[in-house]
Amino acid sequence: MPRAHFHQELERLEHELAALGDLAATAVRSATRAVTDHDEVLARSVIAGDDDLDRLYLDLDSGVIALLALQAPVAADLRLVSVILHSSLHLERVGDQAVNVAKILRVTRDLPANPTIVQQIGEMGDIVVEMLLTAMEALRARSLELCLRLPTMDDPVDRLNRNMHFEVAKLAGDPKALDWGMHMNLASRALERVGDNAVDIAEQVSFLLTGEFREFTDASHPGGVAADGD
Amino acid sequence: MELIEERVDDGIVDDDGHHAGRPVLGRPERDELAEPAAEVFDVAGLSAFYGDFRAVRDVTLSIREHEITALIGPSGCGKTTFLRCLNRLNDLIEDARVQGQVRYHGVDLYDPRVDPVEVRRRIGMVFQKPNPFPKSIYDNVAFGPRIAGFDGDLEELVEGSLRRAALWDEVKDKLKGSALALSGGQQQRLCIARAIATRPDVILMDEPCSALDPIATQRIEDLMRELIEDYTIIIVTHNMQQAARVSDRTAFFTVEVDEASGQRTGVVVEVDQTYAIFTNPSDERTEAYVTGRFG
Repeated sequence: MPRAHFHQELERLEHELAALGDLAATAVRSATRAVTDHDEVLARSVIAGDDDLDRLYLDLDSGVIALLALQAPVAADLRLVSVILHSSLHLERVGDQAVNVAKILRVTRDLPANPTIVQQIGEMGDIVVEMLLTAMEALRARSLELCLRLPTMDDPVDRLNRNMHFEVAKLAGDPKALDWGMHMNLASRALERVGDNAVDIAEQVSFLLTGEFREFTDASHPGGVAADGD
Repeated sequence: MELIEERVDDGIVDDDGHHAGRPVLGRPERDELAEPAAEVFDVAGLSAFYGDFRAVRDVTLSIREHEITALIGPSGCGKTTFLRCLNRLNDLIEDARVQGQVRYHGVDLYDPRVDPVEVRRRIGMVFQKPNPFPKSIYDNVAFGPRIAGFDGDLEELVEGSLRRAALWDEVKDKLKGSALALSGGQQQRLCIARAIATRPDVILMDEPCSALDPIATQRIEDLMRELIEDYTIIIVTHNMQQAARVSDRTAFFTVEVDEASGQRTGVVVEVDQTYAIFTNPSDERTEAYVTGRFG
């Protein structure tokens, strides 16, 4: 009666999702550092490394489809399959955002940088990487408590992202500095999205643990946690 | 015909708490029902015994009208025994007895004044293996009504029952042919037509598809969804996907083993909307069973 093959396969997919989470977090960390440290080698490695994320994502996707078609999972198994499907897509998007950040270095390397903004980008990168790792740890440890930390961790990211507009606006007098700043605004926006993806993953894990899906933040209702955010 | 012969209500309650003179009690007309999902069965503290052996213990659940309720659980969990308690089919087994209460539209089904034949007319049963009589297709369907003294248009009743069982088009030209010449799936639909012909209220199904191929199974499942417009269906199935596909509510039974005596007894673990049972069951024993981690 125990469905050994099915549960082995489900376990394998969860391990792959954890590996995808590590790759995505590493990509964001490296992309941020590439921008803050002007490290073109690191930027190229992020762009090249995205193929690995995409491969893993596609493998997870086909694995989930196969389980749904062949094994008809139910109850907690069904929820885990759904979580893997959704979270892998979130992590694939995180990888794409890391590439977006890494590519910004190429078009800004000859422009004048602003140290305050560079520091803020670095700070945002550190927080969203920590958010990703926390969301993935919440899944590994099956911890609702860790899930619920994510909205609070996201608050400073949203604040820094909003503040970025004002910092960039200050550069308006110098066209080259402004050009650089507008690209940094895009990087900031990409990192802010990574933070949202991490919250999305925590919501998925919360669904796995409780059986009820709820959004931690709701951007369409001002006054909620996400009122500052996207 | 009433379950209990009608009497004048003298307000006297007998020793068993039965209202001695209570006139009883067909099922209410549907448009008279106050609640949209009225209860057909209200089972409380039901245990079923074969001699000293207690097959199921303390079953408490209700069955709602015009719903399909699936009974699932491992072998020996008492789900078939429980099903047979609902139309007193276990009465036919020597030494079989029940404790507790089965109320059918408010009537105590085991009240000594209740006529078990009338119970089985109102609460039909379709068995695991199709069991048509070795008679013609027509006579199989007409059998029950004839015995019950049906004095209406028998041909119309037979045709209507075969149509309702989604079999008419396949057999209308060979009604005098032997029922045993039909395929397994057709025989099972014939048994459903035979059950319908006595104009029941409830149809009990004991693994009705386990002897059928997937296409015949799907036809029966489709038919079940059509039949609940008029009937209430309770199905025992070993196929959890079948329970998930066809039923509105699912009751999960399991086996408890007494450590001292080693005796195995069936118990109900959880009854809920089928969607809840298969996405987020409340009891970890249900979770273990439906996800295949049982045992």
